[in-house]
Amino acid sequence: MLVISDPYPTHMAVMSDRKNDTYLLPTSTQYETSGTATASNRALQWRDKTIEPVFESKPDHVILYLLAKKLGFEKEMFKNIKVTNDEPLIEDVLREINRGAWTIGYTGQSPERLKMHAKYRGTFNPLTLKAEGGPCKGDYYGLPWPCWGKPEMKHPGTPILYDPSKAVAEGGLVFRAAWGADHNGVSLLAADGIYSKGSDIKTGYPEFTSDILKKLGWWDELTPEEKKAAEGRNWKTDLSGGIQRVVIKHGCAPFGNGRARCNVWEYPDPIPVHREPLYTPRFDLVKKYPTYPDRKAFWRLPTRYQSIQEVDHSKKYPLVFTSGRLVEYEGGGAEERSDPWLAKLRPEMFAEINPKDAADAGIFNGQYIWLEGAEGGRIKVRAVITPRVGPGTVFTPFHFGGWFQGKDLYVKYPEDTAPYVRGEACNTATTYGYDSVTQMQETKATLCRITPA
Amino acid sequence: MARMKFLCDAERCIDCNSCVTACNNEHDVPWGINRRHVVTLRDGESGEKSISVACMHCTDAPCAAVCPVDCFYFTPEGIVLHDKDLCIGCGYCFYACPFGAPQFPEENSFAARGKMDKCTFCAGGPPPDGSVEEYKLYGRNRIAEGKLPLCAEMCATKALLGGDGDVVSDIYIQRVTKRGGRPDTWGWNTAYNFKTDKEKK
Repeated sequence: MLVISDPYPTHMAVMSDRKNDTYLLPTSTQYETSGTATASNRALQWRDKTIEPVFESKPDHVILYLLAKKLGFEKEMFKNIKVTNDEPLIEDVLREINRGAWTIGYTGQSPERLKMHAKYRGTFNPLTLKAEGGPCKGDYYGLPWPCWGKPEMKHPGTPILYDPSKAVAEGGLVFRAAWGADHNGVSLLAADGIYSKGSDIKTGYPEFTSDILKKLGWWDELTPEEKKAAEGRNWKTDLSGGIQRVVIKHGCAPFGNGRARCNVWEYPDPIPVHREPLYTPRFDLVKKYPTYPDRKAFWRLPTRYQSIQEVDHSKKYPLVFTSGRLVEYEGGGAEERSDPWLAKLRPEMFAEINPKDAADAGIFNGQYIWLEGAEGGRIKVRAVITPRVGPGTVFTPFHFGGWFQGKDLYVKYPEDTAPYVRGEACNTATTYGYDSVTQMQETKATLCRITPA
Repeated sequence: MARMKFLCDAERCIDCNSCVTACNNEHDVPWGINRRHVVTLRDGESGEKSISVACMHCTDAPCAAVCPVDCFYFTPEGIVLHDKDLCIGCGYCFYACPFGAPQFPEENSFAARGKMDKCTFCAGGPPPDGSVEEYKLYGRNRIAEGKLPLCAEMCATKALLGGDGDVVSDIYIQRVTKRGGRPDTWGWNTAYNFKTDKEKK
């Protein structure tokens, strides 16, 4: 069964010829629901619903609830969340996250505090993000995590990670002791004299546990209830938040005071080394900079490296093929290409080609070309001849979809749902390859050739 | 208050087209019409610069000087507007305009262009402020609501400034003072520093 849950039908929705077991779930946009959004500065922002969900679309949390109900475990899944007319209460969802996400300090940002920030956003300084006065005084906008402890502790959020010039209680922090206290006899804790402002411990320290609190003589500062919850636990498993509360009172960071490491000893390359891509334009360098051997089971999957790299593809596919982002797009682009004003900016899928390579291939600006990837996938796109890319490199954006190997799949969209702009998905032409740690697919470094269409 | 002016700071423009998109959406202009453009020079080379261009609402507007039916008029804030009921779509203004601002929605085999359309500084046109008729013909009248042009309001890097010319100058002078280098008020000589033949001598 294939289910696509999106405001618009995606490229995936029109790729198959399946007649059965394929569903498009119309999903609401962020404007049709309320809740929080977390930005890349770790701040959370409350947003209000501006319109009711259009047509039969439903917000994500309603879809998840209905799915759980169908599968019969909605009582367990939503036991701490109020549900009205099949809609879980968004505030309760955040409260559940607050109660559980201790490891990154996602605990202090209650819906009430975030709504207050949204209401009084004018009181925050746009440069420092701090409220100089008013009801949110001392808070940083959106309580960027780590926002330690329970909401009642009123931690202001951490606007800059690892800023030891401020006390932890005021948004300061030291570097997390994330890899233990030592490795091969070398200490991984901060050196003497390295600590955040007001810290009672003036050197490095490991993450806090109930035992450490006892050794330091801080244990009796916990309330009896906190003691009960914290016994035998550490700062991230003590659900009472007592360990965090006491530690921060002493000016310390719950996660310890450690140092960064440049040697990631559990990785295949503890210190990064250059390895030629599987599909390399410089096959002569493979001997000197080889990839990894093939792996029989990598996250349980057989994964190829060397057996692909040892074949020279650069004769048949002489150009580097890379892909990337356009400023007005996000992801696969189904939403943006369905918006008349964004669609208008780039009405067709294109490939950027250096003038030298275009001249070699006999390609003129604006004409259709075939771009063939090193595994034979072909895309028909417009040529944009520009020195934005260097000689030997071809770039395409990854936001297009709705075409496959020269054919517009318009007829496969449900009536009136096709995006205004459709084009080849660049990954039709990209090739095999996976990251040696995360198994992320390789879409940025491969080979291609180009011919006029 | 001084007259209204646009200024695009080429040191800050990142060619994101938000101004163009904001304009299209606010005024619901049809495909094929762009009241505002982002022009990129030396694309892909060192020294690349982008600049957002629309009608600059010139002090002595050449479009108004050449219009055979005299459809242009000026608001007290110095905004250049036109009357689509008078416009005959001759295209003279397009040839006269140093910024390529006038747009023509349709073209048929006899080169009849349709009524001219251009940036209104979000100030609408002759019909009553905020009326449906005004919105249909000229787009939203934000100035009547006490708001500034949406393109400049939406600009993420604040490259595009639009509003009271004195305020715009102040902001720009502060920037140039802080970052050094020569001021580059692109288009201002052409649009706002009009001198009569006598003054030039």
